Amino acid sequence: MKAISDKIKSIAAGLFDSGKIDVFIGWEGGPCDYAIRPYIARSKADLERMAFNEYAIHNSSNYLLKLRDGHEKIGIVVKGCDSRGVVRLLEDNQIKRERLYIIGVCCPGMKDPLLAIKAQSGLLPQRDCDNLADKCLNCLVPNPVIFDELIGEQQPPHMQGERFAKVAAIENMSVAERFQFFEKEFSKCIRCYACRQACIACDCRTCIYDEMRPQWVGRENSNSDNMMYHLVKALHMAGRCIECGECERVCPVGIPLMLINNKLAKDADRFFGPYEAGLSYVEGQKPALSVYRENDPDDFI
Amino acid sequence: MKILAKDKVAELLEKIAQQAEVYVPMAIEQGSGFYPWTEDNKNQPLLLDALNVYNSPKYILFPQTERMYDLKQQGQDLSIDQTHEDSSPRVIFGVRACDARALRSLDDVFLTRGFEDSFYKARRDNVTVIGNACYAPGANCFCEAMGVDLTEPEADVILRDAGNDGYIWESKTETGDKLTRAVAEFLNDKETKAPEAKSFQTQVDYDGVAEKLKGMFEHPLWEKMAEPCVNCGACTYICPSCHCFDIQVKMWGDSGYRFRCWDSCMYAEYSAEAGGGNPRPSGVERFRNRFLHKLEFFSERYGYSLCTGCGRCTIVCPAGVRITDIIKAIKEVDSSVGL
Amino acid sequence: MSDCNCEQPLVPHIVEVIDIVEETPDVKSFYVKSAGGGLPYQVMPGQCSMLSLPVGEGMFSCTWQEGQEYQQYAIKRVGLLTEELHQIEVGQKLGLRGPYGNGFPIAASRGKDMLFIAGGIGLAPLRSFIKHCFKNRSDYGKITIIYGSRSYNDLCFKKELFEEWPNQPDTEVHVTIDNPEEAWKGHVGFVPAYVEELAPDPAGKVSVTCGPPIMIKFALQSLQKLGFEDEQIVTTLEMRMKCGIGKCGRCNIGSQYICLDGPVFDLTQLKQLPQEW
Repeated sequence: MKAISDKIKSIAAGLFDSGKIDVFIGWEGGPCDYAIRPYIARSKADLERMAFNEYAIHNSSNYLLKLRDGHEKIGIVVKGCDSRGVVRLLEDNQIKRERLYIIGVCCPGMKDPLLAIKAQSGLLPQRDCDNLADKCLNCLVPNPVIFDELIGEQQPPHMQGERFAKVAAIENMSVAERFQFFEKEFSKCIRCYACRQACIACDCRTCIYDEMRPQWVGRENSNSDNMMYHLVKALHMAGRCIECGECERVCPVGIPLMLINNKLAKDADRFFGPYEAGLSYVEGQKPALSVYRENDPDDFI
Repeated sequence: MKILAKDKVAELLEKIAQQAEVYVPMAIEQGSGFYPWTEDNKNQPLLLDALNVYNSPKYILFPQTERMYDLKQQGQDLSIDQTHEDSSPRVIFGVRACDARALRSLDDVFLTRGFEDSFYKARRDNVTVIGNACYAPGANCFCEAMGVDLTEPEADVILRDAGNDGYIWESKTETGDKLTRAVAEFLNDKETKAPEAKSFQTQVDYDGVAEKLKGMFEHPLWEKMAEPCVNCGACTYICPSCHCFDIQVKMWGDSGYRFRCWDSCMYAEYSAEAGGGNPRPSGVERFRNRFLHKLEFFSERYGYSLCTGCGRCTIVCPAGVRITDIIKAIKEVDSSVGL
Repeated sequence: MSDCNCEQPLVPHIVEVIDIVEETPDVKSFYVKSAGGGLPYQVMPGQCSMLSLPVGEGMFSCTWQEGQEYQQYAIKRVGLLTEELHQIEVGQKLGLRGPYGNGFPIAASRGKDMLFIAGGIGLAPLRSFIKHCFKNRSDYGKITIIYGSRSYNDLCFKKELFEEWPNQPDTEVHVTIDNPEEAWKGHVGFVPAYVEELAPDPAGKVSVTCGPPIMIKFALQSLQKLGFEDEQIVTTLEMRMKCGIGKCGRCNIGSQYICLDGPVFDLTQLKQLPQEW
C-alpha cells in the first residue's frame, strides 16, 4: 500500500508540474490508518497530505460532483468501483472525459473505516472490522474499467460464492414475507440521506425528495414515507447502480440497501440486457433503461 | 449511601415500568439506543456498562416525527380538532453526561427565550432522567473539553458504577427523590467508593474557540474543511443536541394532521425560500452553519457549546469529518488569513 | 419580545377571510378576523404572523391592524402556499398564529423625521409603520416615502401612494419604477439610486428600509453614503421560517433568529452578524 501511495503522489506531482491537472482527487491521511478520508488537492504542495491505504474505501468519483460546474482539469485516483462511478458520471453527462486524468488502482479490497472507528469507539454493539469490507467481499470488478494510467497487479474478483445468493433468498420469500422483511428494515431508516449523498448515481441537481413544489415524498418517519423514499430511490438506480456498495456501508442504521440494488442489477440484465452498468465507457452510450426498444418487456405494466 | 445492586437492576426497571415508560440503553440487532423496557425488549442486552449507545435519548423528548394537531377542511371551513401533546410519564435510565448535557440544551431551546414549546414541555415535565456517571472516556470522547463533567451527568438521579458493590444511587432533584422513594425496596445502605475517572484519550482545546469564530465567518478554512463532507444528515440526526425541525402536513382528502419532523441544516431544502432563493446555496455554507451553530452561535445565545463532545458525528460520518479536527484547526489557524 | 402568551404557540387560531383586494397582478390583500369576530391577538407594526392552509404555513408581516377589528396581510404569489392563498375566496377559514418578531422601533422613532424606503412587496410591512405615523401624526416629524417597483402595475397600494399619503401634512412621496413605460411620467430607476438622487438629509432622521434582499443591500450602502449613522438605518431581514418562535433553527443569521430577534434590525446590530443576508 505504501508503494501505491507513493506512486500516486509521484504521478500526481508530475501532472501538476506539467500543467495537465489543476486539482487532484484522492485521500488525505489522518491520525491513524482508518482516519483516511477523501481529499481534493489544489496544488502540488497539498499532495504532502495525501495518502492511500487499506481504508481508502470511499467512492472517489463522488467528489467529481463537487467540481462538475468548474473548468478545472482533474486528476483522480480510482479503484475498480470508483472507476465505474466515473463511467456513470460520463454517461450521465455530468463531467467531460477530457477534463479527467484517471489513475487506476487495481484494488486488493478495502477495510471499512466506519467499522474500524466503531470498533474502538466504545459504543456497542460492534462488528468485526479486520476483514475486507462487505462491499469488497461482493466485488466483481476490483480493476479499474477506465483509466489513463494503471497502478498495481490485476486483481481477481473478491466475491465469494454465488453473486445473487442473497437476492435469491429474498425472491424465494412469499410476497407477505418479503413485505414484512423490507418493512422492518425500512422502519429503521432515519432519513438522513447518507445513502443518497454517498451514491454516485444520485447525481441529480435537485433530488425529488428535496422538491417541494409539489412535494413528492412525505417527510414523516413512517413506514409509508420511508418505503416511498427507498422504493423511489431504488427505481432510479435500476440499470444505473454501479454496485460500489457505498449506500449500504454508510447507512448509520444498517439497512441492507445493496439487496435492492443487486436485485435491480439482476433484473436490468435479465429484462433489458445483457447489461451491466458502468463497465466501460463509449461516448454517447446510455444506461439500459435510458434506451427504448420495441421488444422491451412490458408484461409488468 | 444508597446502593443499587447490579442483580436488582431488572427488578427495579420492572417496578418503575409499572408507573412509567422506561427507556434503557440496549442493543437491538446492529443498532443500539434507548429503547422502551417492554416484554419484547427485555431479552435484549442491556448496555449500562458500555461507554454509550449509537442513538441518543434525544428522540424520547423530541421524536423524529411528532404529530401536533389534526386538521379538517370542509368547503371553506377549517378546523383543528385535537392537539397531541404527550404527557405520559417516562423514565430514561442510564444517560451519560454528554447526553444529559444535550437534554439540557434541548430544554434551553424549547423552553426558554420567549416561547415555551408546548409539545416539548408536555414530554419534558413528565420525564425523569437517571444519569450514569462515566469514569472511562472512549477514544472519540471529548466532553470535558466542551465543559461537561463526565462524572456528574445533569440528571435527577446519578448512578455511579462501583463495580461489584453495585451502583451508587444519588438523587439530585425533587423528581429524583420521588423516584428514589418509589424504588426504596431495591436500594441498600452501604459505604463504597466511586472509581477515579481515567483521562481522556482525545485532547481538544475549545477555550476561546467560540470567541475566535466570531471573526472567522468568511475564513477560507471553511471551504477546505467542508471538502470531504457529502452533505448528508447523518451527523445531525445522530447528534444528541441537534434539534432543527420542519413542520409538515399529511392530508388524506379533507382531513389530516400537521406534524413536525427532524430536519437537517445539511440539506439544501432546509433554507430554500419560497421565491427560489437560498442563503446557503452550497455545501460549504451549510457545513459552516452547522459547525458555527455547534461551536459559536449556540454559545453566544445560551452560554455554552451545543457540542457535548460525545463523538458520535465522527463515528458515523461517511467521509471521515472529525469535529475535533475542526476545533483544532480553528484554534491553530491565523483568523485573519484570507480576509 | 413578543407578547404572545398562548399556551400552544405552534397551534394556530382559526380566522375568517372577510375581504380580499387585488393590489397588483400578483399581490392580494387578505383581511382576516376571528371566526366569531374580533381578533385572536394584537399585532404591532413590523410584527409577523404565520398564516396557514392545510397545504402549509407561511410567515407574513402584518400590513395593517392598529385599532382595527381585522388584520390585513398583503401577500405576493411566489410559492406553494401563496399560490393557494391567491385562489381562495371571501369566507375561507385560515390558520393564524403569532404575533412574532420584534416589530419596528415605534417608540424609539418618536419625535424624529421618518424616511421610509421600500421596494416591491416590501411596502407591505412598511405600510404598517407608515400608517402608524399618520395615525399618530404629531408624534413624528417630516415623513418621506421612497418607493419603487418593477413596473407601474407592480406598485402596491396605489390609492394611498398617489392620493392619500402625498396629501398628508409635511409628507413627501417619491415613486419610481425600474424601466420606462409609455404612460409613466414619474421617475425611472432603481430605488437605491433614487435615494441617492433625492439625497435626504440625515439630520434627525430614522430610515426604515424594506424590500428584496438585493435592494436592501444597495439601499443601506446609499444611506451610509448620504451620511446616515448605523443607528439611523433600520431594515428588515428575511429567511425561510417554519416555527416562528426561535426553535426550529432555519432562520438564523449568526446567533440571531429572524423570527424571534428580528425581523427588524438596525445597522449597528447587522454589523455584528455574519454577512449571510
